[in-house]
Amino acid sequence: MNPSSQYPTRRIEPPHHNHQSSPPRVQSIYDRPLGGNGGTRPGPAVSLSAFALLYSELVQYHQNKSSSMNDLEGNLERCGMEVGTKVLELVSFRERSYKRETRLMNILHHLSITIWRYLFGRSADSLERSMDNDDEYMIYDDRAVTSSFCNVRSVDAFVSGIIAGVLNASGFGARVTAHSVSAGGDEG
Amino acid sequence: QIQSFFALTYGAIVTEIISDSQTVQEVNDRLESMGYNIGIRLIDEYHAKSAVVVGSGQPCMTLKETADAIAKIGFKMFLGIACDVASFAPDGRSFSLYLYDNPLTTFVELPPPEDCEGNMDLSQMQFSNIYCGVIRGALEQVNLRVNCSFVRDVLKGDEVNEIRVELKEVLADGAGEDYQEE
Repeated sequence: MNPSSQYPTRRIEPPHHNHQSSPPRVQSIYDRPLGGNGGTRPGPAVSLSAFALLYSELVQYHQNKSSSMNDLEGNLERCGMEVGTKVLELVSFRERSYKRETRLMNILHHLSITIWRYLFGRSADSLERSMDNDDEYMIYDDRAVTSSFCNVRSVDAFVSGIIAGVLNASGFGARVTAHSVSAGGDEG
Repeated sequence: QIQSFFALTYGAIVTEIISDSQTVQEVNDRLESMGYNIGIRLIDEYHAKSAVVVGSGQPCMTLKETADAIAKIGFKMFLGIACDVASFAPDGRSFSLYLYDNPLTTFVELPPPEDCEGNMDLSQMQFSNIYCGVIRGALEQVNLRVNCSFVRDVLKGDEVNEIRVELKEVLADGAGEDYQEE
């Protein structure tokens, strides 16, 4: 349209919504509404036992692959890291908290309240700062779903991985481990 | 309230299995055997809870009753979803379960075939194959040896998820001849 331009261009019309030019496509997840507003349609209620059985299979699968407890925790954390990155985006959208958390205390509060509630149905019991180390914090959860039927707490390493994933995706480097003071521990 | 966490955990499981497997069939088989392990434990909880739900706790006498129990009680109890039974074969030895909502696939889409590399054509993966294993494992504990497979899958473009359950053999009770007392 601009004759003096070196790069002849043609105006592109905005796409029509009847999609007549595109081939018929399989209905995919991208076509469905995003389901914002904290998920207005309450989904089916998955029972705790279904989750516990599934989670125990995840742990057993890793147990077969690992040679030691540390290995197992490391593997579970690795799995959790990937989930954590996605959880941050998902929760930001669903809970409509569109502002990015750039301060440490804010992201920790966001984690222990909003993200915890989204994942587990209730907020964490408390968020505390360690007396010994300045950069160490603890998120306490008395009834963690991941170890609801388990004696050891190291299976919570998956949740540690999720926390680490969220923090890393927000730009905070962190090392997260799970401890049993009936707790999940967090080192910043 | 843990639906999302449930779906995310399952996604992590599938991701891990894919990275450990060489072919899509291997992925499907591992998911099925994982479901089998779950099924053999799930049946106990089912029995404990369904006695309260159904009231009488009577065992199922026909395959049709079993199918109804799986669909109406089992899926509802553990996943909270509605499930229909249909397509009973004329000889009465197989049936289909229709699932409309699948909590495992809340965040999932299968990659299109052109995006897959090597011999892992993930567009052919049975993402929810764990259900087939759960059904097979649970029924084996009540002496029904079945084969379960996905016939139709929403992830692949169908309108419903359809699991075909075929009865292979009714197993005998007991621990076998070796353990019989003299």
